[in-house]
Amino acid sequence: MYKSKPIISLKNVGVSYRRRAGLLRWNKYWALNDISFDLYRGETLGIVGRNGAGKSTLLQVLAGIISPDKGTIENNGCEVSLLSLQVGFLPHITGRENAILSGMLLGIHKPEIEKAMPKIINFSGLGAFIDQPVNSYSTGMKARLGFSVANHMDPDVILVDEVLGVGDTEFKKQSAEAMKEKILSNKTVVIVSHDDKTLKDLCDRILWINANGMCSEGNVDDMLGAYQSSFKKRS
Amino acid sequence: MNRFYFELICYKAMAELKAESSRSYLGFFWWILEPALYMVAFYIVFALVFQRGGAGFIPFLLCGLVVWKWFGSVVSGSANVILSSSALIRQVYIPKYLLPVTVLLNSTMKFLIVMCLFILFLLLYGIVPTVAWLSLPMVIIAQFLFIACVAGFTAAVVPLLPDIKLILDNVLMLLFFISGVFFDISLAPDNVKTYLILNPMAVIIESYRVVLINGVWPDFFALSIILFISVLLLAGTYRIFKYYDRVYPKILI
Repeated sequence: MYKSKPIISLKNVGVSYRRRAGLLRWNKYWALNDISFDLYRGETLGIVGRNGAGKSTLLQVLAGIISPDKGTIENNGCEVSLLSLQVGFLPHITGRENAILSGMLLGIHKPEIEKAMPKIINFSGLGAFIDQPVNSYSTGMKARLGFSVANHMDPDVILVDEVLGVGDTEFKKQSAEAMKEKILSNKTVVIVSHDDKTLKDLCDRILWINANGMCSEGNVDDMLGAYQSSFKKRS
Repeated sequence: MNRFYFELICYKAMAELKAESSRSYLGFFWWILEPALYMVAFYIVFALVFQRGGAGFIPFLLCGLVVWKWFGSVVSGSANVILSSSALIRQVYIPKYLLPVTVLLNSTMKFLIVMCLFILFLLLYGIVPTVAWLSLPMVIIAQFLFIACVAGFTAAVVPLLPDIKLILDNVLMLLFFISGVFFDISLAPDNVKTYLILNPMAVIIESYRVVLINGVWPDFFALSIILFISVLLLAGTYRIFKYYDRVYPKILI
């Protein structure tokens, strides 16, 4: 399966943040230290690690939102996007306008969103509310709209940061199914999750980022086992 | 800028204008009411309290204020735009220079409307248009580019050195007082005047007045210099944005 050329490859990637250490003094904090791995077309890679290990930072590097401070990332011309809900939502304009704005920020062309609008309205179940300003929505309704828009993005590589299902029971199921369908299709997906079952169901490989910002990778069962036992050792 | 990003910022600017206007009961009327109130405040202070001016002071003052407001609102709006969009730029990649450009488009829309009203006011006031009014677009373009370069530079630098924001407010205030918004720079003492006319905003405000109120051609040489320097500095600002494009999302606030 992994005979083909990787579509993204990271070599010794490190990312540092500048932290204030007093008046006119700063120090560097390395969120990621030495990350190397290859991503292949069509696979689903799971990322695990404790809170603060740098998982979200790694997704930002993959998406090209931030550039690494050391090491290299080689992208063989594919479009990588972070699945983000409610990006750029403005409270005082209608759901329809927000869907277009948010969709454009996610890289979807305006005519495409307009064409997909009936599907977005239908999937979100918002009905006539779509033409009401978003500040009249409940939290759940906003989440429904956000997900329905993001569900229409179609990059080559999709990065998922723990957003599998949102909203009430009904929509959670519906959105999780749509998400799973997307992941299990021949799409390249990188997914950050703390849920063992999700990872076992969806992933082909697991990358574990430890507290020092280093990583190890392997097959799903081995890596999840090792990751879980790292918690037991501590306690 | 490719077409996709152009459509994106146009839509974003329009959406923001719409959002802004639906936040108040009078909505779009505030685009006109707000500058009108602003002008009334200055009129009270300078014409009624300080007894400045005399005949023709009202169009003189209004012209300065309309022109200054465009500059001031874009520059102070741009200073914060990257930090206030931090949630957005951490989730999707967009070229960061688009953010101040959105502020610029937004304010320019408002300025053009107020400018039209100001011209209408001048006509009602009894000022007769002359052929020199044809140079108005050039004055507007020169100011647009000058605003773009100052606002772009502040937008690029403030996230890196947040302390500049505190200096900026006072620099803007100082500039407001020395740009000849409510006095005629050409009447200033000669030794001061040489320094005052080095300020591009003073030249720009003076050009609007010369064209619209006096009905004569502006100083094309001075305007060309402003145009030329603005374009140069814009290119420099664009490089700062390019360099820090993928660093801004990491700035912790």
